Amino acid sequence: MSRTWWKNPIALAMTALMLFPLYWMLNVSFTKRESIRGGDLVPVDFTVDHYAVVFRDQLPYLGTSLLIGTGTVVLTLAIAAPASFALASMAVPGRRSIGFALIVAQMVPAVVMSLGLYSIYNTVGLLDTLPGLILADSTIAVPFAVLLLTAFMAGIPRELLQAAQIDGASHWRTFRSIVLPVSRNAIITSALFAFLWAWSDFIFASTLNREGGLLRPITMGIYNYIGAQNQEWGPMMATAVVASIPAAVLLVVAQKYVAAGVTAGAVKN
Amino acid sequence: MTNTTLRRCLAAGAALTMGALGACSGGTPEPGESGDASEGSTTAEIVFWDPYPQHADGSAWDAHVKSCAPEGSTIVRTSAPQTDLFNQLTTAVKEGGAPDVVLLDNPMMPEAVGAGMLATAAQAGIDTSGVDENLMGPGVVDGTAYGVPFGSNALGLYYNADLLAEAGVDPASVTDWDSLNAAMAQVVADGGKGITFSGVTGEEGVFQFLPWFWGAGADLSDISSDEAVAAGQLLSDWIGEGLAPKSAATDNQSAAWDLFLTGEYAFAENGSWFAAAAAEANFEVGVIPIPTRGGGVAPVPTGGEFAVAPIQSENASDHYANAASVIACLTEGEAAFQTNETLGYLSAKPDVRAEQAAQSPLWEPWIAAVEGAQGRTTDLGSEYVDASASLSGAIQAALNAAGDQAAVEAAFQDAGGF
Amino acid sequence: MTTLTTRTAAAPTTPERATVKPKRRGAHWAAIAFVIPLVLYLLLFYAYPLVQNLTMSLHRFDRGTFINGGAPFVGLEIYRDVFDHPQFWTIVWQTTVFTAVSLAFQYLIGLTIAVFFHRGGFRLAAPLRGMFLVPWLLPIIVSGTTWQWMMNPDAGLLNSFLGLFGADPVWWLSADNALMSVAIANIWLGIPFNLVILYSGLQGIPKELYEAASMDGATPWQQFWRITLPMLRPVTLITLLLGLVYTLKVVDIIWIMSMGTGTSQTLATWAYGMSVGKGASGVIRYSEASAVGTILLLAALAFGLIYIAAQRKQEH
Repeated sequence: MSRTWWKNPIALAMTALMLFPLYWMLNVSFTKRESIRGGDLVPVDFTVDHYAVVFRDQLPYLGTSLLIGTGTVVLTLAIAAPASFALASMAVPGRRSIGFALIVAQMVPAVVMSLGLYSIYNTVGLLDTLPGLILADSTIAVPFAVLLLTAFMAGIPRELLQAAQIDGASHWRTFRSIVLPVSRNAIITSALFAFLWAWSDFIFASTLNREGGLLRPITMGIYNYIGAQNQEWGPMMATAVVASIPAAVLLVVAQKYVAAGVTAGAVKN
Repeated sequence: MTNTTLRRCLAAGAALTMGALGACSGGTPEPGESGDASEGSTTAEIVFWDPYPQHADGSAWDAHVKSCAPEGSTIVRTSAPQTDLFNQLTTAVKEGGAPDVVLLDNPMMPEAVGAGMLATAAQAGIDTSGVDENLMGPGVVDGTAYGVPFGSNALGLYYNADLLAEAGVDPASVTDWDSLNAAMAQVVADGGKGITFSGVTGEEGVFQFLPWFWGAGADLSDISSDEAVAAGQLLSDWIGEGLAPKSAATDNQSAAWDLFLTGEYAFAENGSWFAAAAAEANFEVGVIPIPTRGGGVAPVPTGGEFAVAPIQSENASDHYANAASVIACLTEGEAAFQTNETLGYLSAKPDVRAEQAAQSPLWEPWIAAVEGAQGRTTDLGSEYVDASASLSGAIQAALNAAGDQAAVEAAFQDAGGF
Repeated sequence: MTTLTTRTAAAPTTPERATVKPKRRGAHWAAIAFVIPLVLYLLLFYAYPLVQNLTMSLHRFDRGTFINGGAPFVGLEIYRDVFDHPQFWTIVWQTTVFTAVSLAFQYLIGLTIAVFFHRGGFRLAAPLRGMFLVPWLLPIIVSGTTWQWMMNPDAGLLNSFLGLFGADPVWWLSADNALMSVAIANIWLGIPFNLVILYSGLQGIPKELYEAASMDGATPWQQFWRITLPMLRPVTLITLLLGLVYTLKVVDIIWIMSMGTGTSQTLATWAYGMSVGKGASGVIRYSEASAVGTILLLAALAFGLIYIAAQRKQEH
């Protein structure tokens, strides 16, 4: 091993600190209700009942969430990637207005967005549908992805693009076979956040998809444990733990992919 | 086309959306007085909203509601927490897609009626006879009834019987604020803690504060009175003296209950909905009425929902017929008993209540509380929401003052504004 | 060192430079074709809510007029009401503190961790970096509540920890301390975002630069100041701008922990509370909420201008 081995324990310690609230959640998810506010560091009053409840009730919602997350990623990239390429390296009429619109768009509170979308959806029949929710969730991610991708794509060496054009490549081909592979990191980053936002959205789901039955995301499923005067924190925490496993695997894999992109040295060629 | 519709269409035009443009061609509802349950017939799908997300699909409550579908109909039931449900209903009524039946929290009734969201009980064919007057109060606006309460819950003072026994406190001795404070002091001297309650900002904290507020002799029409300050001082002192947890300022009723369940606290102000859970706690739990300042039983605010029919713009009579049929099923005859037992409520009708008490000793201590309960909106009507918001601000400030008298007094005198 | 010069020159692109650039045949139409889906998307999804928001702030709405129409036009009266609110400037100040503190710590901590992982060369770098994002997978109601419990003034974990060092227990979510407490939780929530973006930025810096610098005898510290930071500037700018916009509109974590009570009330939580009639506001106030929302929009716009100015300055 190299002389940087000592970084491993430091990195572990930082991660542990960062993930401590997660540990707490895990702890509570294994604790009986009467002791969840007791403050023990380990689940002294141990139970797995909460997980039994979660596996009985929550799995369909989990599937829906995965579907919505993936759909949102695809839609977001389909809209944002080409536009970012154009904004970063071509003469786009009105580009400054677009830039402003993007910043303003990020600022619209989700409550306002959901009220506006509700009346639109109500008339076109998108209420309580998955495509409707995917469209709505993408509104959080698209402006972000365009701003981020534009910033990154602006860093692609100009010679690279010019060389392609001299070779007679069309804009579309330049985009597809040079810009996209070179911007892989930024694209994966945008995709990650698009996924995470869709995954954690609650406001859109609760206004636009409230009668979606089992086709509602896990954030809505969790609300089964929040009653008017009574909240079941054990199952809620257990749901959070179960729900984070598939997504965590996805994250670790995606991160590996980002690292692989670098060693391939795409930018330097 | 009215002015508003025109404006809406202009706005929609600006949005360049097909959908929004479509809204101008007739989708905009014009809620009115038309429609009568007796002229309609039930439809194949009946939409039912309630504020009980904890009763998921397939639960006893879910099954009970769905069993109330009339012949040839199915009930589609969805839930959201109280305030969210009210706001979702607002949007749905605005867009002309309101559900057939909604269970709405009672203090929201005057505002819902004032905003023109509800059909009258007569219109929707809802029978309000046999319901206690104090419980019906929030649903009657200008002499007209809107919807019907099927049951009620109330606040009481739970106690940890094991803890009190160890400290040598007789719960029956708690009859006024002084004896309550003395009992807590004795438990604390024995190594325990005093009381958990919810002082969280918003309606929930106000709901919990009102028994002390009314018990001091204060009135909602004057929340800066000396009596109001006295009630604030009581709770503030609990925090200051360490009898109640500081987190009471951010605890909701569920969190306050979880703290009581740890077994460390002598008392818990909480609702009858926990009566069944109390019987299964790790320690013996009893319940006494909340005492007034000078001695006696404090009035508690009425809790619980009204079954209502939202106003409809299209096929109103059919929607009302749906509501009439489902609400009658839930509130009349044998099912009325089941409705309340499933939710852990006490019926709004005395005869059903008596039947509940006869079957389960759990209910015995709660009956007086429900019968003596006071509607939050009965005096102020739709003005209550403002008063409640001001009171909530005062409670927060009082709890944060942790006993400081000048600060508590200032908190109640400054209350008001948005 | 040729790579270095071309890359630094190419990195920051401004609208100016691109439009001045001689146009190639067809480039114009191609550009429009690439951008048109985005423009349509923005119009379709944002124009209506935005117009609605503005309309609401100019009419006095209540629940009844929201449903049935007929809200009277009152011009800028609502804005005057909001500005005259006794708490308005306090809330503006709290919003500023919350945003500045969150942003500064999120960025600094995020950058430190990103550089640490990027220098890397240790086995656990990749998996642990992935783990850092896991907080984002948790429903915020769960992570917010967990923080609230850890900050419990009587038996909370944070106070037990501080107690080990002999510190007095802190009433984290009291009216006075709430701002600090929600900021801490928000910083925790924002670190992954900064880490990921900055890390991607670091990966875009060619390795040869560092190799050349260390051959010239530059210390790691000098390399950080002379290569990493300047090269990271476009990414830093966008990270800070996005972070700022997101922090300005943070509602959920604050709401779950304190419902915007005491010093933790920001413009965003205030607007949220009024728009749904929850928390301290109680009454639903569509118009006031929209007015505060518009103020937030204008603030974001102002920072957008600063961003563009900074981009241009970097160009020269």
